[in-house]
Amino acid sequence: MAYQFEGYLRSDGTVGTRNYIGVVCSVICSSRVTKEIAENVNDAVPLVHSNGCAQLGDDFTVTRNMLVGMASNPNLYAALLVGLGCETNQISGLLRSIPKNKPLEGIGIQYLAGGKNTINKGMQIAEEWSKKVERKRRIFSITSLSVGVIALDLEDEKLNKVTSIIGKTVDILVKNDATVLMGLTETLAPAYLELSKRTDNDEVKNKFLSLKDRLDRKQWKEAYTSKNIRNSYSKKEKARASLELALTGNSKVRNFLYYSEKPAGNGLYFTKASNNLTETLSAMASSGCNIAIVISSRDILTGSLILPCLTVHSSSSTEYFEDLIDYRLTEEEAEVQAEKIIETLLQVGSGQQTSLEKYDLGEFSIPHVGTTF
Amino acid sequence: MILILIYLTHFFLVVKDLLRGEGGTMKTFNGYQRADGSVGVRNHVIVINAIGKLAGFTRKMAQLVPGVIPVVHQGGEAQFPQDLTQTVRTLQGIAGHPNVSAALILGMKEDNLTHVMEEQLNKERHHVKVLCLDEERTITEMFKKGKQWLKTAVENRRMEKRVSVDVSKLIVGLECGGSDAWSGITANPAIGCFSDYFVKDEGTSILAETTEAIGAEHIIAERAVHPKVSAKFIDMVKEYEERIKETGQDVRSANPSPGNIAGGLTTLEEKSLGCIKKGGNAPLNEVIDYAEPPTKKGFVFMNTPGYDVESVSGLAAGGAQIVLFSTGKGSPTGSPIVPVIKIGSNSELYETMAEHIDVNAGKIMEGSSTRIEMGEEIYNTVINTASGNKTTAEKNGNQEFAIWRLAETI
Repeated sequence: MAYQFEGYLRSDGTVGTRNYIGVVCSVICSSRVTKEIAENVNDAVPLVHSNGCAQLGDDFTVTRNMLVGMASNPNLYAALLVGLGCETNQISGLLRSIPKNKPLEGIGIQYLAGGKNTINKGMQIAEEWSKKVERKRRIFSITSLSVGVIALDLEDEKLNKVTSIIGKTVDILVKNDATVLMGLTETLAPAYLELSKRTDNDEVKNKFLSLKDRLDRKQWKEAYTSKNIRNSYSKKEKARASLELALTGNSKVRNFLYYSEKPAGNGLYFTKASNNLTETLSAMASSGCNIAIVISSRDILTGSLILPCLTVHSSSSTEYFEDLIDYRLTEEEAEVQAEKIIETLLQVGSGQQTSLEKYDLGEFSIPHVGTTF
Repeated sequence: MILILIYLTHFFLVVKDLLRGEGGTMKTFNGYQRADGSVGVRNHVIVINAIGKLAGFTRKMAQLVPGVIPVVHQGGEAQFPQDLTQTVRTLQGIAGHPNVSAALILGMKEDNLTHVMEEQLNKERHHVKVLCLDEERTITEMFKKGKQWLKTAVENRRMEKRVSVDVSKLIVGLECGGSDAWSGITANPAIGCFSDYFVKDEGTSILAETTEAIGAEHIIAERAVHPKVSAKFIDMVKEYEERIKETGQDVRSANPSPGNIAGGLTTLEEKSLGCIKKGGNAPLNEVIDYAEPPTKKGFVFMNTPGYDVESVSGLAAGGAQIVLFSTGKGSPTGSPIVPVIKIGSNSELYETMAEHIDVNAGKIMEGSSTRIEMGEEIYNTVINTASGNKTTAEKNGNQEFAIWRLAETI
């Protein structure tokens, strides 16, 4: 059976499942203007965040790379960058770094002498794009899908069932040459040893082995003592992680990516993730994902502004919001359910709205990895 | 002859300034008296999310009732304890702020955080309501319930009337963003002048931005009322610089920012010396942490990053009802709950970016106003703003909000 979906081809060969104009602020100071431009133009989404100035080192690099990644995501057919002027994260630098795979422009409030001019100019640019856009979807093979997969708050009860269904789903995707980015969370990290065995590449192996003392998460309140307060994992955490690992199927792992790092070719990847779903989905989008699957036993209340997120609920309890569930796991065979999830995924990839999209619950946010100053 | 005339005019202006400089006549503004004794300069109804994943719902909830302001952020979950504590302190400060007539807090019962906040805020007699999504059966019902509460809150706030109160009830935050070489000569010294008058009138002014004290910390430390306050201040500044070094960077390499340099600033010390001028000459009474309310009146320093929006949010959460914000390049940012008054450092900026500037301190360099007259103009603007005059940031709908993070997300 050929797995196909209908999407939008971009000039670099990537394929979008959505067709947005991204209006991206370089810094929080231009967020209001950015929102106003996006609110007034068809297809436009405001990618606003609270970073972009008074940042240094790795923290600044993460912010800049995230914005470069978002602007070049295939779900955007054009990107307009909106800056202030005096910020650390200069528009000129962003424009230099963003691959030219779509119409791209940058404007700044201080260069245009105020917010009103900037809004007018921004709307004019975006409206031009909106008139010219190709709105017809074309058929593509599943190999053009780059799927972010993140599991959060899974209940112990029925864990084996859930992980086998999702594991099968991931295996089918990888077997059919799709790209899968699995979010590596706190609960999965204790399985670092098992993960290291799923690659033949020594460098990647070492990346997993470095999780021995937990994921590298920085704290900076106290100077000197702030560096990486780490503990080893408890037996319980390790046992749980081994069970959760089944979520990731049996395929070979190609790499363990950092925020915004792009996969080199199709296959299965891991990517740094946190329990903050908005941050994690934003990072996946900036790594080039064009769709996502979120699995949880609790309510999934937030999605991404540019990635359609298929919500998979693993609990049979009815106390959760039914409206926000795209697929509820049942007692059916794992293989059957994996096929159903992929079928839904392809429909969503072809334009079917997800429940989070219907409720307009997309967000965007950039993680911090160091203090602002 | 002309020279003598200029000299005489200048002399006259200086004497006039000295005479005015005494300050001290009773000043009042019209504000909202709150149950806890504080006074608001605005009467906002807000919706705020306790945890990041409810940001989208919070935005949508606010849209249901005209006039309701959303305050959203990504914290409150998946944070290290020190980070979470700071987030919760900030959120409580915002929800219980004197400028807020009523606050609806969206949370999750299972996360435990929301009810702790509610209990504390109720104890302080603030008008808050918690709505936990996991206690509602459907999304429609949840929105209906929240909308009803907000509608009633918006109706009830009309009953609250402004009354005349003494200016000593005000806490004013002092901030700068997008500085140029004029900032330290015009806008910041004028703000400093205001601060000194205001402190004489028993107001509280909070200088913020620890980064921008680096290189000039000794000047403020010398003004501390007690060696302990002085030591706390010096330690705090050192700690900040070390914290930045820990990231493998030297703050002096990235500050001044590109905009500062274009504006004529050459070194961090130069920027800092200009920045601290906002604090005037009053003794330093207290040093407080980010988003903490001051316990003393007079001149106070709050530990915040130089990042404008995070700093303004910290000042607001600490109880500042108004923030003075000097800018040389023209920064449009505001706050969801606090009027932010923009003091432009040069007249060219005032002309080109009039929609973002409230007070033109560039008049000092033109010679049409003295530093002290500017200080008085700022004081009048503060009082008028406190009594209800809208700032440019408010007119433009600038409601930026961000909380200073102390660690990565878990």
